[in-house]
Amino acid sequence: MRIITCLTVLFFSQFISSQKNIYQSLIIDNQLKENANAVVRLDDISVSINSINDMVITKERVVTVLNKLGNDYVNAREWYNDGVEIKNIQAIIYDQLGNEIYKKKQKDFNDVSAVGGGTLYSDSRIIYLAYTPTSYPYTIKFTSEIRTKNTGNVPNWYFLNGYLVSTEKSRYKINFATPDLKPVFKEKNFENMAITKAETDNSILYEGSNITAIKRESLSPSFQKIVPQIMARMVNFYYGGYSGEIKDWKDVGLWMHNNLIQGRDELFPETKSMVHSLVANTTDDLEKAKIIYKYVQDNTRYISVQVGIGGLQPIAAVDVDRVKYGDCKGLSNYTKALLKEVGVTSYYTHVESGNYKVSFETDFPDLGAGDHVILAVPYKDKLYWIDCTSQIHPFGFIGDFTDGRQVLLIKPEGGELVTTTAYVNEENSQKITGNYTLSDDNSITAAISIKTKGVQYDDHFPMQLKSKDDIIKDYKEIWGNINNLNIENFEFNNDRENVEFTETINVSAINYGSKSGERLLFVVNAFNKNNYVPDRYRNRLMPLEIQRGYLDEDEFVINLPAGYKIEALPEPIEIENEFGSYKANVEKTKDGNSLIYSRRLLIKEGEYPKEKYEEYRTFRKDISSNDNAKIVLIKN
Amino acid sequence: MKKPILLITIFLLFNLFSSNAQDYKFGKVSEEELSEKYYPQDSSAVAAVLYREYKVRYEYSQSQGFKVVTDVHERIKIYKKDGFSYATITEHLYLSDTNGDRESLGGVKAYTYNLVDGKIEETKLKGSDTFTEEVSKNYKAEKFTLPNVKEGSVIEYLYSMDSPFAYNIDEIILQYDIPIKKEDVAIEVPEYFVFNPKIKGYLMVVPKTSRKPGKITFQNKSRTGGGMSSTVSTNYTSNSIDFITNVSEFNLSDVPALKEEKYVNNINNYRSSVNYELQYTHYPEQPIKSYSTTWEKVVETIYDSPNFGKQIESTRHFKDELPGIIANATSPTEKMNAIFFYVQQNMNWNNYYGKYTDQGLKDALKEKTGNIADINLLLVAMMKEAGLNAYPVLVSTRDNGVPLFPTREGFNYVIASVEIDNSIILLDATNKYAEPNLIPNRALNWYGRLIKEDKSSISIPLNANMQSQEAHMIQATMEANGNVSGLMRTIHSDYYAYNFRNSYNGISESDYLSKLENKHNSMEIDNYTIENKSDLGKSITEKFEFSLENQADVIGDKIYFSPTLFLTTKENPFKLEERNYPIDFGYPWTEKLIISVKIPEGYKIESTPEPLAASLPNDIGAFKYIISNNDKEIKIMVSTEMKTSVIGIQDYAALKEFYRILVEKETEKVVLSKM
Repeated sequence: MRIITCLTVLFFSQFISSQKNIYQSLIIDNQLKENANAVVRLDDISVSINSINDMVITKERVVTVLNKLGNDYVNAREWYNDGVEIKNIQAIIYDQLGNEIYKKKQKDFNDVSAVGGGTLYSDSRIIYLAYTPTSYPYTIKFTSEIRTKNTGNVPNWYFLNGYLVSTEKSRYKINFATPDLKPVFKEKNFENMAITKAETDNSILYEGSNITAIKRESLSPSFQKIVPQIMARMVNFYYGGYSGEIKDWKDVGLWMHNNLIQGRDELFPETKSMVHSLVANTTDDLEKAKIIYKYVQDNTRYISVQVGIGGLQPIAAVDVDRVKYGDCKGLSNYTKALLKEVGVTSYYTHVESGNYKVSFETDFPDLGAGDHVILAVPYKDKLYWIDCTSQIHPFGFIGDFTDGRQVLLIKPEGGELVTTTAYVNEENSQKITGNYTLSDDNSITAAISIKTKGVQYDDHFPMQLKSKDDIIKDYKEIWGNINNLNIENFEFNNDRENVEFTETINVSAINYGSKSGERLLFVVNAFNKNNYVPDRYRNRLMPLEIQRGYLDEDEFVINLPAGYKIEALPEPIEIENEFGSYKANVEKTKDGNSLIYSRRLLIKEGEYPKEKYEEYRTFRKDISSNDNAKIVLIKN
Repeated sequence: MKKPILLITIFLLFNLFSSNAQDYKFGKVSEEELSEKYYPQDSSAVAAVLYREYKVRYEYSQSQGFKVVTDVHERIKIYKKDGFSYATITEHLYLSDTNGDRESLGGVKAYTYNLVDGKIEETKLKGSDTFTEEVSKNYKAEKFTLPNVKEGSVIEYLYSMDSPFAYNIDEIILQYDIPIKKEDVAIEVPEYFVFNPKIKGYLMVVPKTSRKPGKITFQNKSRTGGGMSSTVSTNYTSNSIDFITNVSEFNLSDVPALKEEKYVNNINNYRSSVNYELQYTHYPEQPIKSYSTTWEKVVETIYDSPNFGKQIESTRHFKDELPGIIANATSPTEKMNAIFFYVQQNMNWNNYYGKYTDQGLKDALKEKTGNIADINLLLVAMMKEAGLNAYPVLVSTRDNGVPLFPTREGFNYVIASVEIDNSIILLDATNKYAEPNLIPNRALNWYGRLIKEDKSSISIPLNANMQSQEAHMIQATMEANGNVSGLMRTIHSDYYAYNFRNSYNGISESDYLSKLENKHNSMEIDNYTIENKSDLGKSITEKFEFSLENQADVIGDKIYFSPTLFLTTKENPFKLEERNYPIDFGYPWTEKLIISVKIPEGYKIESTPEPLAASLPNDIGAFKYIISNNDKEIKIMVSTEMKTSVIGIQDYAALKEFYRILVEKETEKVVLSKM
């Protein structure tokens, strides 16, 4: 089981200022209303860094909600915990003419625990306004003021709040009492945007205006990759009881190591002797690491408890040892301690997790980067990655959760950016071989073997944990194209050493083909029909991005029913282009009683300009239509 | 009118008095339990409750009166990693903000047992590993997770919950999502409180009842006016009172896991549980004070609440507005429509359910928002004031389950009704697209209770009785390369229109069109028009031109295609061999396809599928496939209908077969050949 976001660094999002007539909804520029469910009239944040451990953040946010879906952008809320004090929070609601209809004070806000799924306990809380609109459009002004000692995360800033929302005015102001408290900034995606910057000796102000809404498009870069934004951080800061100075990633790692990790790897004497006996039969460090990882997988589980130092510090190894559970930080730190005990070095590593790859930015060393922790085990000039929150992944295999991205290794001598193992194109393979027999009553029986590797392994191997009923349900969904499917039996073999999963399945179904008078039609590619065609856009705006490639190979012997002869076979097909290649072929065997079907589909990862999107769609349409190719049999 | 869904159709037998020699004393976990690899009766179970003891009892203290104490003891075997979640225990505890009364949890004792090298190793839960979370103003959660849990572990824990709310016993769940090997549930109630047990679910369970003596001893007899009932301490001055405790016990073995299935209304309707609802209290030398027991009583209690009956009678807040609203209405139906429209358009639901008003009609009207009762009781009140025979109808929503027995808690929602010309029309103004007699799906559940002013009530069915219809009409031309283009018209009526409006009226037409295009494999749509999009009461009609590639297999000199084109049902939605619970479609429905396809020049029709008609037992569903052709064109009419919203499991096999035939027929091909 893999659970995301176990690092819960509190981030402050956004605001102060005041203008008249922005509270009415009637005279919004039409361009701002296009594709928008809400218009952010004013998004204003003012961050005052009064000293290294005193930061006050005031926000003013005025949002005109155009319809029901726009309520998601009101964001009248603040997260807080022991390190954050809410000084003031309120909201005023205006009708479309700009008349005030309600004023909501702090007591009208809901104050609840912000414990997410998979978390047993967390000390973070959220205070939010639940408002039921009486008509649309309406406008809401939200103001808040919070104070914190933690200057380690100065709020970052997005000039757009999401898809389908536009921004009329956005102001990001940082005041710093003295020049040495001036944060470092990084501007991103400012091209062609109306964003200005004004600096004084003790402040910096960014202003953006009239930024139109964008729509989500499939196979496009993430919102974070395209939105105009500012990243900010303090060189000298205070966080969770510690001060620090960060000039580069090495400093980030050093600060983490010295303040959060060092000294938390003590173990009970009995645990020490236990791990020594576990690895007694080997002297090889990699073998030892595998044994220890297996021990951790078999004996611990993921439970998230978020307390202390902004959710950054792991619970001590002895505590994990006692209860045998922990979150990503606790389990990684515990495993690291066990490895250290048997003489194997490993590095605690911060990473941004998720299927969509996000890399730490080389030129912006940031304390708050990442939401997950994994371990790196160095061995003979290579790093082996393990995710200690998974009880099932093979050693050295991290799947599509933390693969191929820049992460931070935390070493005693400081931090270091490295890239995790990437699973590229052909490495993510699936090979299906087998045979099927079509009978004269139109029923089908088949023996199938599926071998998966790489990210396709990651998709398949968790099946072994499921109950028989669920596995049967899954196969019936996967092969939903075959009606009346009956799963006769199945068998799995999980080769952890070579990271290869094999499924052997026997199935049968009645009425596989479709009859038309004397003829019997059936789809040749019975067990790996790929009908995915990306959505069509009349006017594609975003580039095309394929994050991971894969290779599918299929080979089937098809036995034909007696009493029929072949009337038509699909023509061989071969397509090759920059996105990959597709090849399918059916031919008769020498004896003429059966056919051999072979198919190969390679999709390559890559980034392409938006103009290429339609070409890629055409490629997928061709694949889909060829995967539907039919054989026609006619009665003798 | 359709018969209600039969909930209890399978009877599982239990050996009520288990003679198992297993030791269920706390801590006596055996090696056999630890070494067991899977649950013998259900090998797919990720975990199983080996033993469960759940005891509800009453304790008296002079300062606080009676309180309810619940003692919990569970022993759970974890077989698979997916069962680890059963090692985390969460109890939500209620805090009353009116008088500060609160439920509490204590006495936690918990161990994990593992078999290590043939020896039993135990790990204790430390006090510091339990957590209290302030969930919201009225709830906190006590949580703990067992240490050292792995595949094969047995966990065991005890705790006790105290509740000062003596009139209330929480629903007792008897069936989990994992099997229960043995459970002993006991409810011990002093004679002063008389509860009625309401048993629901698939399992046949009967409590064993007995009586035993109880005693209250007073430390200080001069004290009067205690917390719970001053009567007890004022009328008696002796040192102790003897009373009878009524005991009910459920001793069950081998309770199977409750497994989720598709198209089930609400799986919890089938979960075995027992609910104790207070019938009356009878303190010594005091008259009986009655609480709800019959539907009539329940209704009376609800009606008497200031947040219900009084609200309907308070007409002051809209007196001035009402004449204007119904100014142009003459007949009762017109008045109803006018008032319904007014309330529906003006009031905004705040997403809270409730049979009782939250703010009251006055404030709700002022703020233009409210919970379900605020809005629908306003509707009742206005219609009554306008002289209509309007009444509230109590409802249990789908997620609240089916109210099998008379209970106050069984209802969580209220709608309005009007009697016109001897027929009853149901109204729910909390959805912007609901209509008279077309209430939101959430309220389409079993029976409601219609309440008249004299507090008499009648049961009325809430299932939708009209058959909702969707029709697609296509005039298409097939080209020799398999591409198809033409005109399509779709008519959505009743619930189809309601669902369409709820799903798409909030989004722009261009977004809707791209969804529609992508739903039909990248169809290209032009000249789209839609009628009656917001005109409630009327069917929605969509019209457009379309073109679509690859709708036929062109093989050699022949063309093969399904005449139902892109509307072909290709997959049987019912894939499983067996089913345990009824299939719930929500409402009866009909789908019609009327399609004509012109064939390409130079081709002739070689064969077409045969016509077919199929029906479900008792004519609850039917499928018709009618096809005809001339030299140039194929015409087809397909209709599929379900005349009832719920299909019982006895008809599951027939329904699966029905869809098999339907899919087979719709996927059958027309064959064209080159002339």
